[in-house]
Amino acid sequence: MNAFAIAVQVPAGRVQLVDVRRRALLLAQLRMLLIGAVFLALAMVALLRIAWIGVVEPAPLHRSMAAALLPPRGEITDRNGVPLARAFPAYALWFNPAAMDDGGPPLVQSAETVAARLKAIFPDLDEYAVARQLASGKAGYLRRRVLPADANKVMALGELALELPRETDRHYPQGTMAAHVLGYVQDGKGYVGMEAALDERLNDPSRRGEPVALSIDARVQGALEDELNRGMHSVNAVGAAGIVLDVDTGEVMALASLPEFDPNHVDEEGQKYVFNKVTNQVYELGSTFKPLTVAAAIDTGAVTDLSRRYSAAPFPVSGYTIGDLHSMGASINVPEILIHSSNVGTAHVVDELGAARMKQYMADLGFNERPYIELPARGFPIWASGDWPRLRAMTVGYGHGLAVTPLHLASAYAAMVNGGIWRPATLQKVAPGHVNHGRRVFKASTSARMNQLLRMIAVYGTGRNANAPGFRVGGKTGSAEKPGSGGYNRTSLVSTFAAAFPMDRPRYVVIVMFDEPKGTLASSGQRTAAWNAAPTVGRLVPRIGPLLGVLPDETRDVDLTDLKPLVGDSE
Amino acid sequence: MSVPGRLRRIGWLAALAVCTALYLMLHLKVHSVRSEVVRAERQIVALEEQKLLLETEFETRSNQLQLAAWNRVDFGYVAPSAAQFLENERQLASFGSPRAPGAPAPIRVAGGAGSEAPAYPQLISPLTGEPLDEALVEPERPLGAKLAEGSGAMRIPLGAVVGSASR
Repeated sequence: MNAFAIAVQVPAGRVQLVDVRRRALLLAQLRMLLIGAVFLALAMVALLRIAWIGVVEPAPLHRSMAAALLPPRGEITDRNGVPLARAFPAYALWFNPAAMDDGGPPLVQSAETVAARLKAIFPDLDEYAVARQLASGKAGYLRRRVLPADANKVMALGELALELPRETDRHYPQGTMAAHVLGYVQDGKGYVGMEAALDERLNDPSRRGEPVALSIDARVQGALEDELNRGMHSVNAVGAAGIVLDVDTGEVMALASLPEFDPNHVDEEGQKYVFNKVTNQVYELGSTFKPLTVAAAIDTGAVTDLSRRYSAAPFPVSGYTIGDLHSMGASINVPEILIHSSNVGTAHVVDELGAARMKQYMADLGFNERPYIELPARGFPIWASGDWPRLRAMTVGYGHGLAVTPLHLASAYAAMVNGGIWRPATLQKVAPGHVNHGRRVFKASTSARMNQLLRMIAVYGTGRNANAPGFRVGGKTGSAEKPGSGGYNRTSLVSTFAAAFPMDRPRYVVIVMFDEPKGTLASSGQRTAAWNAAPTVGRLVPRIGPLLGVLPDETRDVDLTDLKPLVGDSE
Repeated sequence: MSVPGRLRRIGWLAALAVCTALYLMLHLKVHSVRSEVVRAERQIVALEEQKLLLETEFETRSNQLQLAAWNRVDFGYVAPSAAQFLENERQLASFGSPRAPGAPAPIRVAGGAGSEAPAYPQLISPLTGEPLDEALVEPERPLGAKLAEGSGAMRIPLGAVVGSASR
């Protein structure tokens, strides 16, 4: 009880103090407990979360490798797998004046200094233009297609305004080569060449992973363009076109139209040259038609005796006189017509053949429709419909009054030398055993005879400059005056050489054409095909022959012994 | 509950716990391997892209125009002439000359057809039952085709003598 009494006697202030202390302790403990509980709960949540991630959730969602490696646009390769066009992940150099966002100048250093330092990274940069662009404060591309190594160097300049957005671009590793075959891409859409023709296929997610193989051989294409360029410049021609065609499959091994454009950078200057001279431009291809005329005549039996002589005197037909550039003597036979390229003789052959059959053969060779090829730009021939009068048939016989593309001519020559089967040309690689169906135009015997005659032109005639030793080249020159206002223009020619090799078993047709060649020192002052197109073929064939599996051999040739006596010693 | 019963129950529980733990460990392991695969795939994608980049750069630097320009200025290579090609063995043999009387014996190069080399299986004619002449079975092909088959250099049979007139 005393204890009680004492306790009671404890002053009120002290009791209060004890009470406060106990309460504070309690509160502290409670808080500790609460915090502990919170921590525990957090730990539990974390643990549960770990368990959840580890046990329940699937592994990090991954895009499949195939999807990551799928190019945004399919690749185009040549027939041997050399890439000609591919989606190229690259950086662009973009000037963004708003990047600093502090109201001050967009660049830390002066525009001139930055331009100079960029020039050190990209030696081909136009320093002055870039400095002006930087100083102007306008946003824009400074450069496209920056390599990662260079991108790092630009980052190291420390300029926030120089941004490096990553963009997938279309890149053509071969530069201007095969530009007309490939075309170009702008904003994801293909234009002009196979980029346009295969647009759907190249964009299709299920198929774009597989590269598309074209029939082009990059090495042959390179050689063709090189020789065409050289020939074009040596005779000051305004343009040139060339094609190498496989006679058995119709595959285009090379196709070039000069001047070319750069598909990597198509500007207004480039747009001017986008036009394809091989498939889109029609020309009167002149004397290169004469072998086709003779083939038709032999095929129908209009010409059975090659030794038969026709008058070579100027030939008046319906108020117009067909003449030759120089006198061919009093009379001329069929091999001589081809060797000396006689218009008069060809006119006589057409007379024997008849206009209707002439027209039928020209139609069978595909001269009355657009050329068969995948490219979107295909020119329509200038083809006279209705019955052809005698004069029309005769002028067509030597390549006037009918304008076709060089590709038409290549397909027709292929039909003439391959045994007589006409096949559509294609730019897609043809797998063995999947050759396009063709139609028979000439008999095999006609084709064999024509091979002899074509070879004779290259051995004894106007095509001698194309006679590359060992390659058994055969072909026909053609120099046609270009039609201008009010008749033919005497000074501007289209000179063509249509060739095939090796003539003992023809495998490739080569067409080389120069637009408006001039007489220069390189062509001995001449403008005709024998002096510009033929030598170009003569230089081209040895370069492409071994690449295409045709080895030169001086011990082989077509047997010309039965025709040689007909042309005498005309060399 | 009896003691053995309780023990059995504890045993079952322990087994369940162990199995669950093992399952969890396996599951975690699978997930970690899967993550590694994903990481490896990402690495592969990055490397492939790098490869593409380098390949494209190489193709660009060595494009046909560039090669032609180099050739024009620096190398001057020209297309091979007819004399630089050999069509077949006959053409090769045509370069040789018959052995003159009294000439030293031709040097014989050891070939692969030694004693340990297995004999070529011979084709038996189904009509006569006799071994066929190999020359009949395999007509002469161009040299290029033979080389392309990857059999290496042209094989000249051991003991072949050019112009064996002196024998």
